[in-house]
Amino acid sequence: MVRDITRRPLLAGAGLLAASLPFGARAADKKLTVALSNSFIGNKWRIEMENLFKASLQMDPYKNQVTGTWFNSGNNVSQQAQQISGLIGERVDAIIVNAASPTGLNGILKQATDRGILVVSFDNVVTEPSVIKVNTDQFNFGKTLAEFLVKKMNGKGNVIMVTGVAGTFVDQQRNAGAESVWKQHPDIHVVNRYTGMWDSSTAERNTSAILPSLPKIDGIWCQGGTDGVLKAFIAAKRLPLPPTAGEAENGFRKFMIGYQGQKVDGLSIGQPPYLVLVSLALALGILQKTHPRKDVTIPFPFVTSETVKAGETVFPDLPDSFFADFTDSGADAVVKLCPDAALNGTPCPGSLDVRLPTA
Amino acid sequence: MPPEAAEPPRGRTRRPVLAHVVGQNIGLILAVAILSASIVIFAAMFVVQQDRLPGSFEITSTVNNTMPLALAAIGQTIVVLTRGIDLSVGGVIDLTNALAAIFLTGGVWHMAVVSVLIVLAGGVAGLINGLIVGFGRLQPIVVTLATLSILQGLAIRVLPTPGGSIPAGYTAFLVNTNAPTALCFLALAALGWMGFRRSRLGVDVFAIGNDEQAAIALGVKALRTKIIAYTIGGMLYAVAGLFLAASATGGDATTGDDYTLTSIVAVVLGGVNLFGGRGSAVGAICGAFITTMIVNILFFAHINPLYQSFYEGLFLVIAVVFGALIGRLVRGGR
Amino acid sequence: MSEAPVAPAEAAGVVGVRVVSKAFGGVHALRGASFAACAGEVHGLVGENGAGKSTLIKLLGGRLPPDTGSVMLDERAVRLSGTADAARHGIGTVFQELTLLPWMSVAENLLIGREPRSAIGLIRRGALAREAEAVLAGLGIHHIDPRALAAEVSLAERQIIEIARVIIRRPRILLLDEPTSSLAEREVEWLFARIRELRDQGTSIVFTSHRWNEITAIADRITIFRNGQEVGTFTTIDEAKAITLMTGRRVDALYPSLPPVPDGAPAALALAHGSLDGRTEFAFSLAAGEILGIGGLAGQGHRELFLGLFGAPALRRGRISVGGKPVRIANPADAIRAGFGIALVPEDRKTEGLLLSLPVRDNLSLPLLRRISRLGVIRGGAEMRMSREMISGLGIRTPTPMQPVGALSGGNQQKVLVGRWLLAESRILLLYDVTRGVDVATKHEICELMVRLAGEGKAILFYSSDTEELAHLCHRVLVLRGGRIAAELNRPELTAESIVAAAMRDAA
Repeated sequence: MVRDITRRPLLAGAGLLAASLPFGARAADKKLTVALSNSFIGNKWRIEMENLFKASLQMDPYKNQVTGTWFNSGNNVSQQAQQISGLIGERVDAIIVNAASPTGLNGILKQATDRGILVVSFDNVVTEPSVIKVNTDQFNFGKTLAEFLVKKMNGKGNVIMVTGVAGTFVDQQRNAGAESVWKQHPDIHVVNRYTGMWDSSTAERNTSAILPSLPKIDGIWCQGGTDGVLKAFIAAKRLPLPPTAGEAENGFRKFMIGYQGQKVDGLSIGQPPYLVLVSLALALGILQKTHPRKDVTIPFPFVTSETVKAGETVFPDLPDSFFADFTDSGADAVVKLCPDAALNGTPCPGSLDVRLPTA
Repeated sequence: MPPEAAEPPRGRTRRPVLAHVVGQNIGLILAVAILSASIVIFAAMFVVQQDRLPGSFEITSTVNNTMPLALAAIGQTIVVLTRGIDLSVGGVIDLTNALAAIFLTGGVWHMAVVSVLIVLAGGVAGLINGLIVGFGRLQPIVVTLATLSILQGLAIRVLPTPGGSIPAGYTAFLVNTNAPTALCFLALAALGWMGFRRSRLGVDVFAIGNDEQAAIALGVKALRTKIIAYTIGGMLYAVAGLFLAASATGGDATTGDDYTLTSIVAVVLGGVNLFGGRGSAVGAICGAFITTMIVNILFFAHINPLYQSFYEGLFLVIAVVFGALIGRLVRGGR
Repeated sequence: MSEAPVAPAEAAGVVGVRVVSKAFGGVHALRGASFAACAGEVHGLVGENGAGKSTLIKLLGGRLPPDTGSVMLDERAVRLSGTADAARHGIGTVFQELTLLPWMSVAENLLIGREPRSAIGLIRRGALAREAEAVLAGLGIHHIDPRALAAEVSLAERQIIEIARVIIRRPRILLLDEPTSSLAEREVEWLFARIRELRDQGTSIVFTSHRWNEITAIADRITIFRNGQEVGTFTTIDEAKAITLMTGRRVDALYPSLPPVPDGAPAALALAHGSLDGRTEFAFSLAAGEILGIGGLAGQGHRELFLGLFGAPALRRGRISVGGKPVRIANPADAIRAGFGIALVPEDRKTEGLLLSLPVRDNLSLPLLRRISRLGVIRGGAEMRMSREMISGLGIRTPTPMQPVGALSGGNQQKVLVGRWLLAESRILLLYDVTRGVDVATKHEICELMVRLAGEGKAILFYSSDTEELAHLCHRVLVLRGGRIAAELNRPELTAESIVAAAMRDAA
């Protein structure tokens, strides 16, 4: 059977290849097959991300170019590896992967690229060199949040750091970015570092538990679950809310425009769920030879209390846990989408235009 | 008294040896049956969708991917047989995986020595479990839950972010990606199990799992046996950690976490009695492969990803209930 | 043949104890007891439950260390660190509670620690089974399959394996604690033949039993224990005197006199077209106020019959009627239902009836919780009152109703089970070997209780491995053989001898 795999492309004219792909549509139109391998679907971000992927498959121009499938593996590395083996067996054209482990899939992904399958990794990227990476700059994420606080606090005061899931690359990079800023400002005191697990309710619970032991807080640095942290502050009557640098939770952004009688001066940066669309666009670009085969880093979508806008970057009618950065905004937006795509995976009117960085 | 009175009464027809073998290994036989059934279902789905039989790549990746679980399940089996349970599996795999990613470099001898040391580290973790369970007379579930957390913490200390790398030669040796040569290691493990089952230690492990007090009355050193069982378990989890690192080609101090639960699932699917004293590591190996085949089947069934874990659970429940029913029928039919 | 006590010191003791005491949480099992057995003798050890016999055996067998005093071996004090250590000194023990490993084969159990091994030290499976078979055959046992699991063989067979396991290790001191409790007469004969062989080879044998006739049949000397001390050692002694010494009081008659079944008493329970094997059928009926005995050798279907009438599981075939009306008993819940009122008191009360770690009160009230609850909450007062009444009514010896059942003696545990069913207003009692492993005094109490209950109109179906007991305590006895009723014995021809004769007739 080893022979079979290598021999087949040699023997295979288009007809044989088509016969081996029983799904008529993709064989007839020579559509490309792209599979999304997601590690787990346990939070809103991942659901939005998958919904965007589903929506894009029903929108022009992807509708006619791509047949897509998607898989979840419950954050279990060996299960995700096994699913990727399945995708290799199916000989998809490209695999877009949000990995359960930055290193745990390297072995199987190397096997995929060795067999000529394009692999694009995003969000929780893998370290395997043959895989194309699409991400934001996580170090810069932490650094930008910290710099915002330094400015708002005039370089001195007490800060808490609400960190993410320990042991992940993203968490480590964001923390390192923040620490690089604190180092230059000796009058900023980080009075506590604890995890919020990128989850609002965990962040709220942990903050409530720790808050009584803390002095006056002049700034909040939060990787995720920001609205939960603020709610804990309100419950503990630590008012007014200090300047806050956090993620792109809709709840946090509601506080930035005034919510529950409080208004916070904040910076909200998102790890955008549309990274999946950038990955998809990049994969197609590479396969259709319209884009060079190289890694892509996209800028963060971010808003401040000054630039946040209801209906565009914050949605008062949607839940707090919704990620408001499913779409980019502004003139050089990477991609623009309607809330329905993120909420239900239904296509938006018009066509989808993903602007890949040209650099 | 009639002359034959010195002998207890009743002629009873003796059952053939085969009937005993079947009756006493019903858990193992069922595990093999379920595994065979899942392989047939998978192959059928594969043929329908791909117009060919699963080939070398599919077999190799399935075997390589299952190796860590199969090894962890053997270790778990030995602990479960003593009427214990080991939740520290995930922690040992995390730690050894992390250690492997950092220290495995260089030449063959260097890698061999490091591998042995890592396996010994797993043994020490198991030894600590065994000592606390044995001398402390504490519930294994509590002790190993605590050591699980400690080991996970240690693993993160060793490898704070995923990284490190495994030399290509090491990967090629343990999990050759071109052919399912890892099956040789499994065959070796199964052979080792058969030896264990027939060794003094094996008998002692089964004896204390059957009835610890009775075993002690029969001269079995229960304390020592338990400690050794946990230690062997720890060493096998460490080997699992090495295989995991080899197939990932890098280290991640959290990827082992899943193995705590999946090793128990594999043990149950393999027909090992969770209350000790009955079961086979060969069954547990089959159990490990069943869990992988379930993933394969769901993949080719193109189940809506949102419901994947639902179906996984459903398959497990069906397999376990089916096994229990057949087991009862066979036993009841006597 | 003298009835005068023989001082233990007169004979050169091979094994024994000197002024040992042993207490369990404040309860003294042995208080300054001394005992010695000689080479080449069978030494019977008798006494009530709680007299300290089993504790003594455990000290001698290395299972427990004495608190004070010492275990003597060849006239020297020794410290035994465990059963394995005792085995090294040539002491082999069959303890009262069985120590077989249920999910291992008979052969593995029999030869544990001395399995045939290959050059690299691995057990040879085939040789193991063959050796076990040979060893069993050498002891005259041909009917036990060495490849079967211990859990698959009957209780009597398990007991035989347990005995065989010790005998084949050729101990020079053999301690047997209640080895006959689950054996039928023929199996007891087998055991006695083995014991005599060993004695003639010079083995010192210590033997305990609750069955007096066994003690007199096999023992060369008898030591009587009471309250943790030896009362005396005798070469021969009559039963009445022994019982007096054991209990410290006179027991005039071991079995109470049986009131006749009232004429025209209605049938409480009847079975028609019953079958245990699905081939041969039988029928019987049990009247209110009657004690109907079921006799025969062990393993002839008694257990299946009793469990079948209780629906656990149901009989293969048969029509059961209760109070003249046909009923369907598919499971124990059916049997317990107030309308039927069938209750089963099993032999193995530890696993089949009682919740050992719960108090006596809770064990008694278990089936009535619904009746004494209001809105799902148990009325504690009512529960306690009913429990107290039952405890005093049945003479259950417990300090308080809150005592865990597991802490009571075997006989008292049986009474708790009986009491539970009486509280549940059961009218038909299935008593399965309830006097097994129970001491003389308690046995007497249970017998009296049965007769009293029959007098009150309860219908009792009674199986006992003690044929003597069946003969004295039953109005009628049905002898089972191979799953059929081989004979029905009525008074006056109902005697222990006639039961045995019917059971053995063209047996095997």
